[in-house]
Amino acid sequence: MSHNKVSMVAREGTEAGRQRLIWGQPPLRQAQGRLSVRPGKARLSAMLLALMVASVTALPFSALAQKPAPPKPTEDLPPGPMQAKATTSCLECHEGRIILQQRLSKAAWTKEVDKMMKWGAVVDATDHDALIDYLSANFSPDQPPYDPPRTTLGKTSGKNGDTRKSK
Amino acid sequence: MKTINSRRDFLRQVSAAAFAAGAAPSLLSWALPVARNQSLGFPDLAVPGLDLPGEDGMIVRSFRFVDLETPVEYFNTWLTPVPHFFVRNHMHEPSELSAEDWRLTVGGESERPLTLTLSELLKLKTHSVVNTLECAGNGRSLHRPQVPGVQWGKGAVSTARFSGPRLRDILQRAAVKSSGKHVMFRGLDEVPGKVPPFIRSIPIEKAFDSDTLVATHMNGAPLTKHHGFPARALVPGWIGAASCKWLTEIKVLESEFVGNFMSPGYRFPDQPVKPGDAVRPEDTHPLTELNVKSVISGPLNGASLKSGKVSVHGAAWAGEADIVKVEVSTDGGANWNRATLGHDQSHYAWRLWTYEWKAKGGDYSILSRATDSRGRTQPDTPAWNPSGYLYNAPDQVKIHVA
Repeated sequence: MSHNKVSMVAREGTEAGRQRLIWGQPPLRQAQGRLSVRPGKARLSAMLLALMVASVTALPFSALAQKPAPPKPTEDLPPGPMQAKATTSCLECHEGRIILQQRLSKAAWTKEVDKMMKWGAVVDATDHDALIDYLSANFSPDQPPYDPPRTTLGKTSGKNGDTRKSK
Repeated sequence: MKTINSRRDFLRQVSAAAFAAGAAPSLLSWALPVARNQSLGFPDLAVPGLDLPGEDGMIVRSFRFVDLETPVEYFNTWLTPVPHFFVRNHMHEPSELSAEDWRLTVGGESERPLTLTLSELLKLKTHSVVNTLECAGNGRSLHRPQVPGVQWGKGAVSTARFSGPRLRDILQRAAVKSSGKHVMFRGLDEVPGKVPPFIRSIPIEKAFDSDTLVATHMNGAPLTKHHGFPARALVPGWIGAASCKWLTEIKVLESEFVGNFMSPGYRFPDQPVKPGDAVRPEDTHPLTELNVKSVISGPLNGASLKSGKVSVHGAAWAGEADIVKVEVSTDGGANWNRATLGHDQSHYAWRLWTYEWKAKGGDYSILSRATDSRGRTQPDTPAWNPSGYLYNAPDQVKIHVA
């Protein structure tokens, strides 16, 4: 096994919760599944690396404590009778913003929910209509548009591109 | 600027980046070239929240999967710096990518199916194409009635110099049979749930075009992870979805690939549709090339400016055609004035443009409208379609001049 692969595994295993948000990678248990088949030596390296990562990432968090809270990596679904069930059914595969930015009629939400169920979303038959009602009520065409956040600014401007201005 | 790094540079960058990933905090993308890793100062990496290595001030349409839009104010350089280049993922990015273990297989309707390692791929003769890559769904949020999908504003489009071997050179090595009519690409995206895999195909004629690439570099540096490291298809002038990232399999087929992302995905109605109407699948065709379009990169919508000289500027592109004219209206579309086109140009790349305007006090609606070498002009009314593809009405910003 290459050194490189060991490090990738370590990243998955140690910080998977944060990692999947940051990299858009699969949920934790898939990563654990991979980790569990690695030989012992690789696991030890992974654990050592995990300690290194944990010790160096802990410091700046406290140093930044006074700053205003930055936008969250992922958004929650709005309160309502179906909030918990929608979170379980929908956010397994994608984050909340995918839903929060839609502005759809009830007919369109019905098509989306049915498509997602075909694609693996688990929705109890008894919850199907309530889920569509919840999405239609919160994300209808008359709602104001979702205002998206931005990634952290200012580290990389002007790099790796042609900066000539056209005349 | 450098156009193409040598193969040795590439391998050095890749191996050094891989080393950095093993030794440094996990947020570093190991696929980033060395220079970029160094520019990411360590304290910044630990800022909680919307911190994506190598991405700078991008509009977050989704973090999981990663879908990032370029703010229009970044459209002021002919080539988009990689940290400002929009990112579109249908699935999770590959969790494990290794330059050493990566393989590209070529098969299907082929006399000599083959497998290439990355170092073998990098030994092939390279070619560069400056291409404006645009997501078919760019501008989806502007369609009325609204349609489902990532609600892109105006910035799911960017331009870079892509380099790598020509796809046709690879196909010729594999000796494509005369029965081969379409070329399928499969990437290493990780599929959640029972979502169909992101696989699409292009017709053999486009695959054999001298500008269609298996790209390994972007603006002279190895592809970053978000843009398909270590290799991606680059199908210039066509919708972004044609240019499969993390490419690992090329398969020559007798007919178009059958799958969700060929149908019902990425299809356009054959005839104009009344907004909101359903369209039967048999009345649609697969999307291929982009249409004619322009975007205003300044002044920004809602800006308040002083009277006097105002530079209205932006970019315009037309897929496989060339931009011949951009016009700007400062009175909501009643009168149009010719903009000056920028000197940087390349067949599949956008043209920057500017219009110098003497602004008096008041409220203004400023529009831009492009015309291409085939005589196509942006339509006053966008062609609504159920999936919200190819929005190309004239761009518009509203400003106040004091």
